[in-house]
This record gives sequence, C-alpha cells and structure tokens, in this order.
Amino acid sequence: MSHIEIEHGCARSVEGRDALMPLPCRVLAVSQETSDVKALRITSLQGTRPFDAKPGQTAMLSIIPSGECMFCVSSQGEDYLEFTVKKVGFVTEQLHALRPGDAVGLRGPYGNWFPYEGLRGKDLLFIGGGIGMAPLRSLITYLFDCRSEYGAIDLVYSGSTPDDLVFCREIQEDWPRIDGVTVHLSVYRESPGWDGEVAFTAPFLERLGYAPDGRIAVLCGGPSLFRTCLASLEKLGFAPEDIITTLEMRMKCGIGKCGRCNIGSHYICLDGPVFSIAELHKIPGALH
Amino acid sequence: MSLSTAEALTDALREEARRLLAEGTVAVVVGWEAGRFPNQTTPAFISDPEQAQRLVYGDYCVNTLAKYALGEKAAGKVAVCVRGCDSRGINRMIADNQLLRDEVYLLGLPCSGMKDPATGSLLMKCRTCTEHDAVTYDVLLGPATAAGHDGASADSSAGDSEHVSDEQRFTAVLGIEEMAPEKRRALFDAAFNKCIRCYACRKSCPCCTCRECFVDQLRAGWQGKQNNLAENRFYNITRVFHIGDRCIECGECERACPMGLPLMALNRKMVKDLKSLFNADDAGMTEENSAALGRYDLGDLEEFM
Amino acid sequence: MILRHSSLEGLLSTLSTGARVYVPAKADGVTKFVLYSSSVRPDFSITNTTMPPKDLLFPQTQHMYRYGTDAEGVPYVEPVHDADDVIVFGMRPCDVRSIECMDDVFLTKGFVDVSYQAKRERLLMVAMACTAPAPTCFCNSMGLCPTAAPLADILLRPAGATDASGDTAYLVEAQSEKGQAALAQWESYKATDTSDADFEPVSAAVSCSLKVSMVGVKDKLEAMFDHPIWEQLSKKCITCGTCTFVCPTCHCFDISQENRLSEGTRFRCWDSCMFTAYTEMAGGHNPRASKSARVRQRFMHKLCFFEQRYGKTLCVGCGRCVEKCPVALDITCLIDQIGAADVAY
Repeated sequence: MSHIEIEHGCARSVEGRDALMPLPCRVLAVSQETSDVKALRITSLQGTRPFDAKPGQTAMLSIIPSGECMFCVSSQGEDYLEFTVKKVGFVTEQLHALRPGDAVGLRGPYGNWFPYEGLRGKDLLFIGGGIGMAPLRSLITYLFDCRSEYGAIDLVYSGSTPDDLVFCREIQEDWPRIDGVTVHLSVYRESPGWDGEVAFTAPFLERLGYAPDGRIAVLCGGPSLFRTCLASLEKLGFAPEDIITTLEMRMKCGIGKCGRCNIGSHYICLDGPVFSIAELHKIPGALH
Repeated sequence: MSLSTAEALTDALREEARRLLAEGTVAVVVGWEAGRFPNQTTPAFISDPEQAQRLVYGDYCVNTLAKYALGEKAAGKVAVCVRGCDSRGINRMIADNQLLRDEVYLLGLPCSGMKDPATGSLLMKCRTCTEHDAVTYDVLLGPATAAGHDGASADSSAGDSEHVSDEQRFTAVLGIEEMAPEKRRALFDAAFNKCIRCYACRKSCPCCTCRECFVDQLRAGWQGKQNNLAENRFYNITRVFHIGDRCIECGECERACPMGLPLMALNRKMVKDLKSLFNADDAGMTEENSAALGRYDLGDLEEFM
Repeated sequence: MILRHSSLEGLLSTLSTGARVYVPAKADGVTKFVLYSSSVRPDFSITNTTMPPKDLLFPQTQHMYRYGTDAEGVPYVEPVHDADDVIVFGMRPCDVRSIECMDDVFLTKGFVDVSYQAKRERLLMVAMACTAPAPTCFCNSMGLCPTAAPLADILLRPAGATDASGDTAYLVEAQSEKGQAALAQWESYKATDTSDADFEPVSAAVSCSLKVSMVGVKDKLEAMFDHPIWEQLSKKCITCGTCTFVCPTCHCFDISQENRLSEGTRFRCWDSCMFTAYTEMAGGHNPRASKSARVRQRFMHKLCFFEQRYGKTLCVGCGRCVEKCPVALDITCLIDQIGAADVAY
C-alpha cells in the first residue's frame, strides 16, 4: 500500500527578496479566541495578502521593538494571513496588545506543508489539543474549500477547560454542518456550562475507536497529548506512515541556517514542520 | 613539586579514591587525569573504584574543581580534590547556600603552584595565590606545603613566608590605579573590545551560581546580545560587581578566558577596596558567610543614613 | 610567480588601496586577522590565529536592517548594506575549508543568505600553505592537506629553503579566475631574478603529528544518540561558548534588536549551542535542557548531522577548540572514543 509522500526542504526564497527581512504590514483584525489566545489577521500596507502560504507553512511575525516569533499560518483570506497567538512569553504578550491598524513586520513563508495533494480522496482524522488547533485549522479550512475532493473528516479536539478550545464557536456550530464532517470535543476538567465529554484526549480517542481503514491521522498538540495520542493511534492500528504531525522548536531564522531547530540532519523550520511519525522514528531525538 | 612527591601524592590519591568508592563513602571522586598532550591534565570523574588509577596529581593540575561538586551531588556524596583555591571555592558555595558541607568529602592536597603544560612556567593565577593548601578537608593527603610557591617565593624574604604579600597580590591593581584616567580607560577598552562573550569566566567561577544569570534574563533585557564595547563593558563590570565581596581569588576566570582579559585585576580591585574600606576578610576561608557586603551587624556604622 | 618575503609589505600596501586587506597579526595579545595598515605587522609564522577569519563573512554582530515608523505613521524596513571588497591574506588551508562549510550553510538548500552572499562575492582568499602544523593541528585526519587549499583564489607556498640573502620565497599560484585577475596587481612585486622552476614548493609531505581516524565515525554516531558516552563526556564541560566561538565552522546565530525610541536596528549575532537559552522556548520548555544533550548536539552536528546534510564533516582540524577549551574537552579524544566504542554500523 502506498503511503503519503511529504516533501521536505521544499520552501524557497522569494526572488529578489531578502528572506530575513520582514515586510512592513498592519493588523487588519483581532479576535479574542480564548482568555489567552487571539487570532490576528495581518495585511500588507497596500491592503493585500502579504504572501501566499500553503497549509502548514509558518511565518515570522515581529513587533517593533520586541522581537520576532514564528507562527503557523492558521488560515488565509483574500487580503490577510491569520495567526493564532497564545500568550506565553514576552513577544506574544505584546502581540496580544495589538489593535487593528497597528504596525507589524512579517516574513515568510517558511517550511514545508501538509501533503494536501497526496491526501486527495482520503478519509482524515484530526487530533488536536488547545493551541495545536492552529496548524490543523490551516489544513482543515483548505479542505473545506475543496470539500468534494476529500473523504470524511473527523476531528477529535480537546482542551483543559472549554476556555482552552480555540475557535470553539466555529468548530462547534459551523463545522459539523459541513457534509462529511464529524466533530468530537472534550475537556479535561468538569467545567461550569460544559455538558459535553470530560476526558483526556487519548482515552477519548480510543473510546471513539477509529480504525485505520485507509484513514490518515493528523496529530498536533503539546508534548503529553502528543505522546499519549500517538500511543493510542498505534494501539488502534494506525501505521507510523499514516500519522502526520507538526513539530515545534525555538526558531530564529526560519531558513535553516541559525541552527537551533536542528534535529538529526534536518532543520525543523526549513525541512519541517510537517513530518510523518515513520520519518520521525528515523531522526535521533525527534520523538524523545 | 618534585617528581617523587607528585608520584607519592598520586599514589595516595588513587588509594584513597579507590577506598572511598569501594566502601561506598562517596559516589564519585572529582580529580584530574592525563590529557592527550604532554603534561596536560583534564578534570576526571571517577565512580568505579577500578578506575581510580586514572587519577593523577602533580604540577599541571590547572583546573580548579570546586564547582563540579554542584553538578555531581545529585548522584550522592562527592569527593573533591582540594587545594587552597578549590577548598575556598567549596567554602564559598556553602556560604552561598549552594552546597552542604555534608554533600562533599574533601581530599586535601598540598600545592606549590601549577604550571602551564605548554610553557612549563607557573600559571599567572598561582603567582599571586595567598592560600596554597586546602583550608578545609576531610583527609589530608601528604604534608602541607612548607615553602611558598616556586614562583612567588622568588624574592629574598620568601623563605619564611608562606603567603604572598599584599603588595605582590595587588601589584596589578596598584599599577592600574596609578595610571592617568585616559590611559586606564584605554587599557580596559582594549580588553573589553576583544571580549567575545563566551562566558567562560562566569561558567568557571565558583561564585557564579545564579540559577539564571542576569545575562540570560532576556525578558528584563539587562544585557544586549550585540558584541560591542558598550555591551562588553557592561557585562564585564556587572560580573565583577555581582561577585563583589565573594571572590575567592582562585583566578580560574582569567585562566579560562580565551582572549586573555585581565579579569583578576578587576576582581582584585574589589578585594582591595573591600579590605581598605571594611577591613573585609578574604573570601572562602571558612564556611561562614563573612562577606563584607553580604551580611550586616546591628552594630554597623550608619554614617551615611 | 615567485614572491619574496621582503616584497610582501609593498604588495600589502598596494592591495590595501583598493580593498580592505586582513592579515594574521597579534592585536592586544590576541592573534586574529587584523585590518592591514602601515602600523600593523603581519605575522605569517602564526599557524592558527586564536580567532578564525569567519567574522569577515559572518561578523559576531551583523546589523541587518533598520526599522521604525515615519512621520505619517507608516512602518518602514531599510536594509543595512555593508559589504566591501575584502582580501584575506594568509589564510591557512583549514580556514579556507571552513568557508566551504559556511558556503553550504548560507548559500544552499533553498535559501540564500543575502548578507553573507554579498560579503562572499567580494571576498578574495589568499591562502598560505602550512609548513609547520601546530601540535593541536589535525587537518590531515579531516581529509585536508596542510599545503593545499583548493577553494582559495590564490595559494602561496613557501618555496624550499631561503635563498642566500635569507629571504623566504613563496611560489604564487592563482586557483580561480578571480585569483588570476587579482594577480595583475602583484606583477610588479614578483621576483625577476628567478623563475618558478628554480624553487621546490613545500610538498604534501607536511603532515600533522596529531592524528585521528574518522573511519566509521559518522555511521557509528548514527547509532550512538542514546550512548552513555555523552553523559560521561559532558561532566567536565562548563558550557561556556569558547569552543563554538573560536571554531571556524560554527555558524549558529541569534537575531535580536536594539531600539531607540520608535526606531531600531535588528541584528544577528553569534550564538552557541552550549548555552542553555539557545533552545529555550517561550513558556520555558527546553528540548536541550541538560548539559549532556547540548554537548551531544555540538559533536553530533559536527561529526554526523552536517555530513548527512552536506556531505562533509563540520570540523576542519584546526585545533582551536582543543587549544582553548578551559577544561580540555578534546574533540580528538572524543573521536578516538567513538572509534573504540563497541557499536555496530
């Protein structure tokens, strides 16, 4: 059986542009997704989409004068790129203070992308936790745009509390109405106003009992969710070749030069962030 | 020291290390072993009694070992080979609440100053050393050093003096103090200009034990990452002030510095001023925190209040 | 072309009228490549300068661009261009090789580093063959020859014994078109009373006394990620950045900025995989939090990962780290240990 091919090291510098220089841009819109997550839509000074990004690609968002941070492009529109930013540190705190019209810098796109060509016709199982929805969303919204070309889409998405579910309203209300899309949500703790599932992601996933049946699983979440759900997927019979994930590490350049996101012979910023579990098994330290 | 002394001390050290490890008194022995090049040694960490014969002692054990106790103590009691500098480093870390005396077993060794394996001459840090032998130990291997350092005792009065005089100790500082301000500035600008900020000085220092150094507090942004005179000056001066009254004068920072910065001149300026202003004790001589700026007495003068 | 040592000063001063010329010299007690002027005394007897010449292409602090907001509130970003014609005169073969490694990093794999490229295109490398490798040199073991520097534009080889006047002669050869063109400026300094045929340049017989075997090292390391060697080896490491900063091939960097009111400059600066903060992520997670993980990363990158990616070892055998490591954590001893490790490959 043939497996999905993921391209690595396929990103290229844009002709005539210094890949490390940001484009001056502006904030188009800000939406508060959870208490510590905001979605920022960024537009060029001319009011156009700053550049094209494929699902899963990343870009470096900077704020003057605080520094740069790498984010996955979580979705894109005619005149914007959207980034989903969780407040975890110095720069993200300042990004949260931005308002529409504020100046930012943006450079990219960097890295590889989800193998959306190879996934055509396949059934897909998305598993995510918290802010891990950001990269998943880039692929999911792409699939929605050409819905007929793909099989069933199932989503298992969790957060510590309902407030940790990013894009919750959209996921709960809009996505299930789309043909062939099933959404399963859970939270880890009993919470006021939540009458849905209370469970950790991995046992929830096992209980749902997805069989491989040619499905491709796409997994994205924090270290413990990643570890436990990977074990569950393997228990359910998914082959490592059929599980796709995105890796995260500290990044500074985005173009495979500065060294800190090096694992094995790869740089996550350039060759990743999208890998199959089968590939990660071959990279020393990648699954530690 | 003579070859036979070195050999006898090496034998005694190996035997003691083997015994301590075999009896389970300590989990690891930190000492020195031979390196690849003639006379070169490198820090050694022995946890298998059978490996104790790797240990060596002699004229070329250039590394001060005290700080390694911090990294090793998780595995159990750490035996550390100590001379004057190493033992004062241990005392310093105990006084700074980094280490308990009970976490280490100190193997005292006599020292007559260490030599540069490449040149055979006495290390700079040993020429101005005031305490050759361990100031604290659990066992003393071999006799205390009767005379001063080979190099420090070159003057005629050295026969009866174990310690270098304050005059010798502060020669470099006095020389710099006498300079005209412009010349002094030029001296330090030239030094700080060549600093590459590898932080070997900080990492080798038994006083530099902050969980997070001011340099790494990126959020506060005290220290810019650029390498230029202003940032290098800021780093080097802040380092000295932060060590302040705790410097044990082991000279390891200056030895570790790949660029040859006169770090001990800076450290000793602090030491000298603290002595003259507060009659400060030399740091690390006991486990007590006797640091002039790091403690207070109710009877302290408050002239400035 | 034969060039006498006594003509070098005249040549250097001519060259420095059209380019920034860097020569090995001692400055404030440190040997490095120093900008030539009449007050600088080049010292071609230095085998390896303490600081490698990598900063000429990859400065420790490189300003990249200025940014700010103009009077109308429109944000701007302006590149800083600072490339100049540079001649490095007297590079050793190992340092020339290190530029080959840097070229791989900065000029290939989909993205060209614009500021490196601008400097690289304006660099002329004049190499000086080694006749007396230092005790810490081991370039032979890394596949180099102390008397050959294939990537250099011009190669100088001390030629045989000094002549009757006591003046050393160098056999000068252009090795690239750029080098050939540059030699026009040298013509007036060449020795006219003798010809190339009269001199026997130093031969490939020049060899380092320090030798290690790289046979199987990369392949063994592929199976040694979880080997106890890293924990043992890293005990003595104090995680300073000396080895990485004196290394001619270490190229990791950080990007940071300095601001003045509403304007600022973003710069990149050398960083070190030995530093804790290097991989620490926002939120505090650090994939290489332990000392042994960082030591492993440094050596794996040099001896295994880089070769997997670019087909060459990221070590040129210059011996600077061997000489300068304050705790004598010696890469050649590690290579011996890997060789001796009982690991199938």
